[in-house]
Amino acid sequence: MKFEDTSQNLRARLRFVQVLVVMMLGALSIRLYVLQVVRGERYAEIAVNQRRRRLPIPAPRGRILDREQRLIVDSRPIYNVLMSREDAKQKNLFSLVEPLSEGLGLDPELLRDYFKFVDTMPAFESVVVKQDATKGDIAWVEAHNYEYPELRVEQQPQRTYPADGSLAHVVGYVGEISPEQLKQQVYKDKGLKPGDIIGLSGLEQIYDDYLRGKDGYREVVVDSKGRIQDEIEIVQPTPGRDLITTIDLDIQHAAEDQLKNSVTKRGVLIAMDPNNGEILALASYPTFDPNLFSQRITTKEGRAEYAALLNDPETPLLNRAIQSRYPPGSTWKVPMAIAGLKQGAITLEHSQLLCGGGIQVGNKFTRCMKQHGMPDIKTAITQSCDGYFYRLGLKMGIDGIVQMVDEFDLNKRTGIDLPNEVVSWTPSREFKRRMQPRDPEWRDIDTVYASFGQVYDIITPISLLRTVAGVSMDGRLYIPHLLKEVKPSGNPGTADYLAPVSFQPLDPSRPNPKVVPIPEDIDQTVVQGMWQVVNKGGTAARIQMAGFDIAGKTGTAQVVGLGKDVGKNKDHSWFVSYAPAFKPEIAMVALIEISGFGGQHAAPAVRGVYDAYYRKTRHEEPPGAMIAKK
Amino acid sequence: MVAIIHKRSWRDFDWILTLLAIGIVLFGTVQIRNAQPTEPFWVKQLIGLAIGLVAMLAIAFTDYRKLLNLAPAFYVFGLILLIVVLIPGVGLRINGQQAWIRVPGIGQFQPSEFVKVTTAMMLARYFGKNRVQPLAVREMIVGGLILALPIALILLEPDVGSVLTYMPILAVVLFLSAIRLRLVVAAVIIGIIMIPFAYWMGVKTNAIKGYQQERIKVILDPENADKKRIGYHTWQSILTVGEGGLFGSRSSVEHSQSGLKFLPEPHTDFIYAVTAENSGFAGCLLVLLAYVILLSRLITGARRSADRSGMLFIMAVVGGLTFQIFINMGMALGISPVIGVPLPLMSAGLASLIATFIAIGFAISVQLRRFVN
Repeated sequence: MKFEDTSQNLRARLRFVQVLVVMMLGALSIRLYVLQVVRGERYAEIAVNQRRRRLPIPAPRGRILDREQRLIVDSRPIYNVLMSREDAKQKNLFSLVEPLSEGLGLDPELLRDYFKFVDTMPAFESVVVKQDATKGDIAWVEAHNYEYPELRVEQQPQRTYPADGSLAHVVGYVGEISPEQLKQQVYKDKGLKPGDIIGLSGLEQIYDDYLRGKDGYREVVVDSKGRIQDEIEIVQPTPGRDLITTIDLDIQHAAEDQLKNSVTKRGVLIAMDPNNGEILALASYPTFDPNLFSQRITTKEGRAEYAALLNDPETPLLNRAIQSRYPPGSTWKVPMAIAGLKQGAITLEHSQLLCGGGIQVGNKFTRCMKQHGMPDIKTAITQSCDGYFYRLGLKMGIDGIVQMVDEFDLNKRTGIDLPNEVVSWTPSREFKRRMQPRDPEWRDIDTVYASFGQVYDIITPISLLRTVAGVSMDGRLYIPHLLKEVKPSGNPGTADYLAPVSFQPLDPSRPNPKVVPIPEDIDQTVVQGMWQVVNKGGTAARIQMAGFDIAGKTGTAQVVGLGKDVGKNKDHSWFVSYAPAFKPEIAMVALIEISGFGGQHAAPAVRGVYDAYYRKTRHEEPPGAMIAKK
Repeated sequence: MVAIIHKRSWRDFDWILTLLAIGIVLFGTVQIRNAQPTEPFWVKQLIGLAIGLVAMLAIAFTDYRKLLNLAPAFYVFGLILLIVVLIPGVGLRINGQQAWIRVPGIGQFQPSEFVKVTTAMMLARYFGKNRVQPLAVREMIVGGLILALPIALILLEPDVGSVLTYMPILAVVLFLSAIRLRLVVAAVIIGIIMIPFAYWMGVKTNAIKGYQQERIKVILDPENADKKRIGYHTWQSILTVGEGGLFGSRSSVEHSQSGLKFLPEPHTDFIYAVTAENSGFAGCLLVLLAYVILLSRLITGARRSADRSGMLFIMAVVGGLTFQIFINMGMALGISPVIGVPLPLMSAGLASLIATFIAIGFAISVQLRRFVN
């Protein structure tokens, strides 16, 4: 270097610059090593995840059919407009309210509220912006794919239930899994995620695992705006399995007609095959439209509708068959008669007890409806003599009554395959202590009350039916149930074949049937007493049917004071029955709320269903068919 | 022109430097194509390479001293270009910056890239006389002014990234013009102390706004910074680089970070991230090595220069290139803030490419005349 001047250290300075250059680029190589080699795999995973989306393909839910495989519940395909949260993240959710509500015809207020709710739920990947989108909505979404790439249209099966509320309490309904449920281990174990549709009530809930199927998915590649660029994998959903129920739609509709046309339009009617516990009909009125939950619950109208149902004093959401307790009234006399004879309080030879028009215990006179003289057990059943059963109860004592309750499982759930069955309240010393802490001692007057189906006897219709059906079957008490068969799926012999599933008690330790040992002559005596109720001038003589032996027992459960049948404060009217009396095929219980005497309201309702059953099984017009009272 | 080049010129011609530069451009063109397979950027880049090579040869075989004598004219011409670009209607406004001039046929070019060369020439000429004294204050002021004029015009565009790349040009020239070492040491120490202090003061007095703080955080801790907005570019680039792994990502071009547009500006600012994704750690190291050799060749040329002005010009180019490479790659690797600085020879962009080749041609010219005096 000719210009070099040693005083300037130029050579050293050039060297310094060169070293600096190499060091700067060397530092970059270290950073490269960290990013690509040390953390490479992790970054690669994040990078791959941000361009992958797993779009679920909902599995079609299994259908619910009646015992003849007639359709009760089905799904229809609808289109939903969904919004991907991931892709909308760069946008302010609320800035979308106006264009979306305008484009899709939504209520902006409601959408804003919904977004507020969604904002608190970070777990929801995709949220439904509009359910059941019209063709116009779909076209709008497609036309605005560039502005709103976070929107997409997805086909989804939507549950459709009978719109008139038929079988609403039996089939239940589906809905989106709730945040509370998502926290529970049971649901986590099933791999459920936000937005999944599950059974929330009824058979939909109990047999959800069979009905739900398994969602499939599309694994797609999206660009940075969330627009789908490619499809990597598609896994088809496994459809849910069809459920064949024990319900017979002909009987069911007949039962519903009876309730619909009853005086108060409130009550319950259950028909069951006493030979195996299969429920042929289960109607509870008033009812509701389950489509509310599967279709309308996210709309403003739907919410209002739901609130109205919750506040309705007639409690339409309640399944009266398994969730309401009523005093059984005189229907209680059926197990009382069996137990009285079995326990030896009376014998077949000497079963006469005094009616006395009632009974005086201490300073209290509890009266009978009539003067029955000194009836035997059959007559006491036929005429529904309270005085007789007061005395029988006193002979059995509270311990005898408790033993009866225990034997007939009246203090347990029946085990029906529906959720939220309640336990009946049955007489016992503890029960009185709890009910009347100021007078906890069990007295004779309490035994009198407990023996004619009032005060301490408050039971569910289903448990009464099971007991009486058991009596008709010589003491074999089957678990009432609604599942006949879960249909097989796939082809036999193949790996994915699933065999049909029949009803199994939800509690496997319970015997089915439970056998109450009843000597045949005792059982037949009570059965004859019940036959006479209908066929020999008893309290339900009006429903007698020539050639079809109906046995039954009326009951009138007090709502207000005994015998004060005045104004609108009438009593609950009961009728529990089976037929043919000596070879039963069908057992039934009916309760009409606040209507009056059992023989007057509940028994004709049951007769109306017998007519339908007769028509169906005997293929002829039932003799003296009762036209349902309009 | 070839006729006047005698044999010795061909023998002394820096083939390694030239081939290395061509190699980097070609490799970069492949990456541009990877980044934007459906756009014609890579074709333009090849056209740019051809133009650049012609310009490089033309300058290499011209006596650089004649060019340096004309440096004031070039410098003024450069300033005029920077003024022209500001005229509404002539200059193109892209992303809020009025930094491009439309040229029919080629497209658009960025004058600030060329002005770097003319500014370096002006500095080399001013500081190029033989020196016996340490750098005087007056000289520093004049040097500063030479830089300040183009910088002020570029700030009007405004293009802060470009301005930053001008700084090291002056710094290197001053450093090699016998600036007193204690001044250098003092500047470094004050810088080390003052920058954190100034930042702290800025945060305290609210002179540095929240989003600006966030930008700093993006660099210091990209994983916990705002990855969706302010830190988006940096985070996506880190992911892209990381996905490359040792030997390149297994994703197809269509499913790559750039193909799906997760990585913004993949063919220009983030071309190195694309390179990292496609060729992995191995490919990135090779690119780094190529740059180190290229810069070393330039420094060697500077060392052999026949006069001070030739040495200063080459070293000014080295300073500018090194800084640009460091900032651009640092951007891709998430250690420097995202400012629009192209990677020399690799980023798509005609102006940067041609200007770099002009600078290399100049360096070759200096080398070729090392024995001529």
